[in-house]
Amino acid sequence: MKNVLEIRNLFCSYGARRVIDGISFAVEKGEFLGIIGPNGVGKTTLFRAISGLLKSVDGKILFREKNVSEISPRDFASEVAVIPQNLEVPFDFTVEEFVLMGRFSRIGRFESLKKRDYAVLDEVLCLTDTSSLRGRKISELSGGEKQRVIIAQGFAQEPSLLLLDEPTSALDIGHKVRILDLVKRLKKKQALTVVAVFHDLNLAAGYCDRLILLRQGKVFASGAPEEVLTYQNIEEVYKTLVVVKENPISGNPCVFLVSEEERISHEKKRID
Amino acid sequence: MKRKTLVIFSLLCILLVFSFVLANFAGRSGISLNKTIYYLLHPFSSGMERDIIWQIRFPRVVLGVLVGAALASCGVVFQGLLRNPLAESYTLGTSGGAAFGASLAVVLKLSGTYMPVFAFAGSLMSIFLVYGIASRKQFSNSTLILGGVVLSYLFSSLVLLIFSLSKAEEVHGVILWLMGDLSSAAISVIKVAPFFIIPSIIVFFIFSRDLNILTLGEDKAAHLGVNNEKVRKILFVASSCMAGACVAAAGVIGFVGLIVPHFVRRIVGVDHRLVLPASCLVGAIFLILCDVVARNIIYPLELPVGVITGIFGGIFFLSFLWKTGRWRIF
Repeated sequence: MKNVLEIRNLFCSYGARRVIDGISFAVEKGEFLGIIGPNGVGKTTLFRAISGLLKSVDGKILFREKNVSEISPRDFASEVAVIPQNLEVPFDFTVEEFVLMGRFSRIGRFESLKKRDYAVLDEVLCLTDTSSLRGRKISELSGGEKQRVIIAQGFAQEPSLLLLDEPTSALDIGHKVRILDLVKRLKKKQALTVVAVFHDLNLAAGYCDRLILLRQGKVFASGAPEEVLTYQNIEEVYKTLVVVKENPISGNPCVFLVSEEERISHEKKRID
Repeated sequence: MKRKTLVIFSLLCILLVFSFVLANFAGRSGISLNKTIYYLLHPFSSGMERDIIWQIRFPRVVLGVLVGAALASCGVVFQGLLRNPLAESYTLGTSGGAAFGASLAVVLKLSGTYMPVFAFAGSLMSIFLVYGIASRKQFSNSTLILGGVVLSYLFSSLVLLIFSLSKAEEVHGVILWLMGDLSSAAISVIKVAPFFIIPSIIVFFIFSRDLNILTLGEDKAAHLGVNNEKVRKILFVASSCMAGACVAAAGVIGFVGLIVPHFVRRIVGVDHRLVLPASCLVGAIFLILCDVVARNIIYPLELPVGVITGIFGGIFFLSFLWKTGRWRIF
């Protein structure tokens, strides 16, 4: 049972619009897979399909060789945590109440929370640096604090597969790195498998073992970050001029953006 | 926190008992408080005063407790399910449907025992219609509220049509009932209503943790392990039955399902495991006290209790909005 997740020939559409157009890939146990691609390319749709939220899906999505549509929500939630880009919380729960919702799939309907649940709560609050927010209301949190609390809720599910949908877009660079470091640490320690959607190509390059670059609902390129993040691939898919260099410390590819003005002046210089 | 919750619930229980006795005592027959308590504790005594309390007031107060608790907890569930602070059994078209059913019964000269049955059928019909409209659009919450509001208008037009075609004396009873009235409380209604209300409240309690998670939206709820479709259906059917039973028993009593949950959330927080029981208690207290006012304020006339809840509720709500200064209710 090497593959935790396997997608075979997946097609998804909203009405007549085809969003995912024949995608296949597999995720091995303990792997950190990044999914990148421009806006509207179907990354979020792919996530919704994987977590069983889309009904009109063609193709197979297997979690541990079992069709996801055949797994009950409760069983699925105790294996897989999905962390969204943003979550609207209309009712003003406290951070503690909110994070404990992550334990839902692990407690019976007529059971109350046990010591173990509170131990997990303490642990995930500590891991995400949110212990001090415990008694606060969700509406009182800043964007970054809220995002960390949402991540804490996902960790409280004690998942073996973590699906992150741009989990760090609302965070400053310090918290970005801390959260992703944490994910990476957990990945090593608990053999956690991670699939994450990234907008920030440099973060993707820094943390993922493997990247999948999507274009128009299809896999455009996949492989190690340095294979995928070439300036040819990026310019082709994002229609943007970039320079790719090596990160001097990690050796990972690093993508630099070039503004129109700079590009023109650079070209002029070259002609001169 | 735990201790605070305990104190709040004990206070609410005491307040409920107090209001219950007060509601049995307040009236125009001049039975003293001591005697009221005596007769309440000795149901098998005899005498006219005992009969007034046990046959007239007691059923009415019990109905008030049941309907108050039901309306409030229904409001809680609808608001949680729809993630919408304005959701209530009445904004979802229940009242419209019930009113239409009741008016139909009058036109068909079936008033009396058939009126509640028609009202019940009407409210269920409207809720399932709204549900049908919304589930075609994948159960979006705004569609559901919109469907409810549109349906309410449609039904109220139909009710007016029926009224304009019938004789004034025929519709008088229906008009009073439309304003919400506990006075029709007969033992026969009280015998039936609990069978709809109590099991539904139990269902709400069983699913209160699911309800907490459903407030995060369908996607997140599914990701946390809630069986969305199943839980939503169960809660929807239970609350519809309950709302229908309330309308059938006591007419259209507005605002209880809207104000009580908002008030309760400010005291106990938003966890449905606390909000639901607290709303049941506060709803019951609120409705029977409103009924005391309705019965006594312009003695010897009696007002329909819906008028009082509407006035209190409206003032409360406006002052609340005035104070907070913004449309943030949760």
